Order: sequence, then structure tokens, then C-alpha cells
Amino acid sequence: MVKAIPLWLKIANYVFIALIVVLMLAPLVVVVGTSFSANQFISFPPKGFSLEWYRKVLSSNAYLGSAGLSLAIALMVTVSSVVIGGAAAIAIHRRELPKSELLSALFLSPLILPTIIYAIGLLMFWSATFGRVSFVTLWIGHTAITLPYVVRTTLAVLTESDPFIEEAARTMGAGRLQRLFFVVLPQCRPGLAAGAFFAFNISFDEAVLSLFLRTPDLTTLPVQIYGQLEFSPDPSVAAVSTIMIALTVLLILVIDRVLGIGKFAST
Amino acid sequence: MLALSIMSEEGGFTLAHFAEFVSEPYYLGVLWRTIRLSVIITLIAALVGFPLAYVMARSGPRSRLWLIIVILLPLMTSVVIRTFGWMVIFERGGIISGTLYDLGLVKRNFTLMRTETAIVIGMVQVLLPFMTLSILGVITRIDQRLEEAARTMGCSFLQSFRHVVLPLSMPGIAAGSLLAFTLSASSFVTPSLLGGPRLQVLASSIYSSVTQTLDWHFAAAQAVILFLGIALTLIPYFRLTGGQHG
Repeated sequence: MVKAIPLWLKIANYVFIALIVVLMLAPLVVVVGTSFSANQFISFPPKGFSLEWYRKVLSSNAYLGSAGLSLAIALMVTVSSVVIGGAAAIAIHRRELPKSELLSALFLSPLILPTIIYAIGLLMFWSATFGRVSFVTLWIGHTAITLPYVVRTTLAVLTESDPFIEEAARTMGAGRLQRLFFVVLPQCRPGLAAGAFFAFNISFDEAVLSLFLRTPDLTTLPVQIYGQLEFSPDPSVAAVSTIMIALTVLLILVIDRVLGIGKFAST
Repeated sequence: MLALSIMSEEGGFTLAHFAEFVSEPYYLGVLWRTIRLSVIITLIAALVGFPLAYVMARSGPRSRLWLIIVILLPLMTSVVIRTFGWMVIFERGGIISGTLYDLGLVKRNFTLMRTETAIVIGMVQVLLPFMTLSILGVITRIDQRLEEAARTMGCSFLQSFRHVVLPLSMPGIAAGSLLAFTLSASSFVTPSLLGGPRLQVLASSIYSSVTQTLDWHFAAAQAVILFLGIALTLIPYFRLTGGQHG
């Protein structure tokens, strides 16, 4: 006779899950709630309801400017990261290049190397060689930290793909480029798509690298929020944050549509 | 990727900056706080993350999907925003202190801001997804029949959990813990916003060296110390994962 799972354990399970949900979602709920507050100061639960802070954000040059910068960087990073990461993944997968293992370690290293160390290294290296930090520095930095995600997702898809399809295309006379465009790239597509979503999300939310590389005219949205938090947060910060959270939710929905969230979490 | 080559350049300076770090009790205090907090945060994340991963692995597809969303949504939200949420919660007169005050559990209004407790809670929230997902990967590969076998042979649920699941998920727990440790030792947004300027950790001290005192050499020395510490922790990590993937 198999002993049943005791009742207290089942109850404990539900309590545990409830606590996890609170721990994980409380900060987000609070931010969203605060953003609709009619109060002058940040307070939760919000007092009254108003969209005043959203109006303030949408008419603030500082927020709009940094949002534009963040968006531009995130989009450019997505493109560069997918191109470089995709190429790297294909090369690593085929093991055509010597030292494929080493290459793969190199492309995955920013994942484990703390961003702060990478950030300070990039800042010092750039200042010593090229002088002032610019848009390009931020672009390169963000591309480097998002690359591993693209490489990983693409590699994961490639290892599951059927290598004989390319073989077949080759026997039927497809050239190198034809095979790349009609066989290999379509095979990589789900991986590249997942990597692109990751890259966009990470670059858009990234604060550490952007804080180290910040200059007055190079302030991304998270850095702008960070600066506000250090001094005088008012509910407009909450409104910006809520917009960013909404963007994340949207991104997750898109990922779910395109790839299915369960598969996504396993990478 | 460039970072490794850059790091060696930094090491080319004199040792004076390292001497400065070691001889100054303040910075040794910062280092000690960094290590202590990271250990506490990692332990809590592992204690919470392991059962959570187990529940996720053994629950039905629908509830698993919801749990994954609960884990993923915060993970994909900027750390700055999540920290902001905690700031509102911990503030004097915020939810926690306000509720405890109303219930009469505390005598006067207090704030959790600028305490180590605040840093620990905030960081556990940040790191729990990493921990849970690392362990989840291992648990889903455990053959469920092993558990069933243990149960038919008379093990209670807790016994089979303790003697079958726990040992088999050790690699995941170890990998997740090392990841959580390195991430918490090197994070600075959450500690510096929740801990304030007086509770500095190594990473926030590096940041203020770069941006406020503009002492780049000293910042580099601190970064090298952080890097060495993390490299030392990562060696067993690579052993565990076989160097295949991060």
C-alpha cells in the first residue's frame, strides 16, 4: 500500500506557491498600482485614480529622449546580435573552424562573466583607445552581452535539426549560398527568433553597462529611471516603469505565439 | 568577449591599489559584507528554488505554464523597475511597516530601507528565477519511476523526496547556487538602491569609484578582486556542467 501524501503537505504546497507568487509579482504590482495614483507622492495602495503621471511622462523630453535612445539601441543590438550570433552558432555547430570548442566558450563567456566587470573593462578600454564613450560603445557593449543568448538558442535548434536535408540539397546540386539561404537559415529560424526576442529584451532593460557608459546625452531609459530613484522619485517613474512592464508582457505574448512559452523556458 | 583581454591590461598596474584595498578596514568590511550577503541570498534562493522547481516539474501542464509565467515575467522586467517596487514596499509607511503598525505588532513606524534585510529580499527575488530554472532542467530529467519505486516499497512522500529526488537534483542545485552566488556578488543596482550609500557592497563600491571619486585605478583593482573571487567560484561550476554551456 502506497502511503498517501499527507494533507498538511498539500496545504503547505498551496501556501508555498502563494508566497512565491507574492514574492515574484509584488514589486511589479506595486509599481503598476503606484502609477495610477492621484497622490503627489509615491504611495501604495494608491490614493485615488488619475492618468496625470502618464500625461507628464509623455510630455517629458527627458523620458521621451531616453526611450528613443533605448529603442534605437535595442533594435540595432537585435540585428547585430542575431547576425553575429547566428553566424557563430552555425560555424560552431559544423565544427568547420579549428578550435570550435574555444570559440563556443568565447561566445558564451559574457553569460557568466559578470556584466559589471565587462562594463568597467569596456569603459577603460574604450577611453584609452578611442576617447569619449559614444552610441557605438553602447551598441558594441549590448551586442556582446546579448550574443550568448542568440548563440545558445540557435545552437539548441541546430542540434535538433536533420543534417541530411542539407546533404540532400547538396546532391541535388544546390550551391553553398543556396543551401545556406534555403536550408540552413530556415532550419535556424525558431532559434534566431527566440534569440532576437532575448536580445531586444535584455538590451532594452539593461542597466549596469548603460550606467557605466552613461554621459549626459547617452542616457537609456533604465538609467533615467535609476537616476530618478536615487534622488526624488515621484509617480511618473512608476508610469514609465509600467509602460516598460507592459512592453515586456507584450513581448512574452509574442514569444508565446511564435514559439510556445514552455519550449522557451527550457533553453 | 573582449573583457578577458582587457582584464589583463588592468592587471598591469602597480600593486599599490590592491594594497590600498587590503589595508583599509572599510573596504575589507565591504568585501566581507559582499561575501556574507551573497552566501545568505544564495542559501535562501536554493531553499526556496528547489521545492519550487520540484512542484513545477510535477504539476500539470496548465499550472506549470502559469508558474513559468510567474517566474519569467519578473525575470524579463528590468532590475531597476523591480527594485523600485521594493523601495515602495519597504518605505516608511509602506505596506510592510504600515500593516505591522496597524496590527499593533510594532510600536512605531519603521523602514526596511537601507537595511541588509531589504537587500536580501530584493536579491532573492532577482535570483530565484535563475536558481529555479537551473534546478528544473535537472529535475525534469529524473526518471519519475524511481520515485514511484521508492513509494511502492513503503517510502513516505517526504522520504522519497529526501532520499531520491534530492540527491539526484544535486547537480542542478549546485550549478544554480554557483550562478546565484556570482550574480549576487556582482550585482549593484539592487544593493545600492535598497541598501543606500552606507551599506556598500563590492560592486557598488566599484561603481562609486568610477563615477564619483573617478579613481579608475582603484576601481580596476576592485574589479580584479571581484573577478578573481568569481573565477574561483566558477571553476567547480565548469566541472559540474562539463564546460558545455553556461
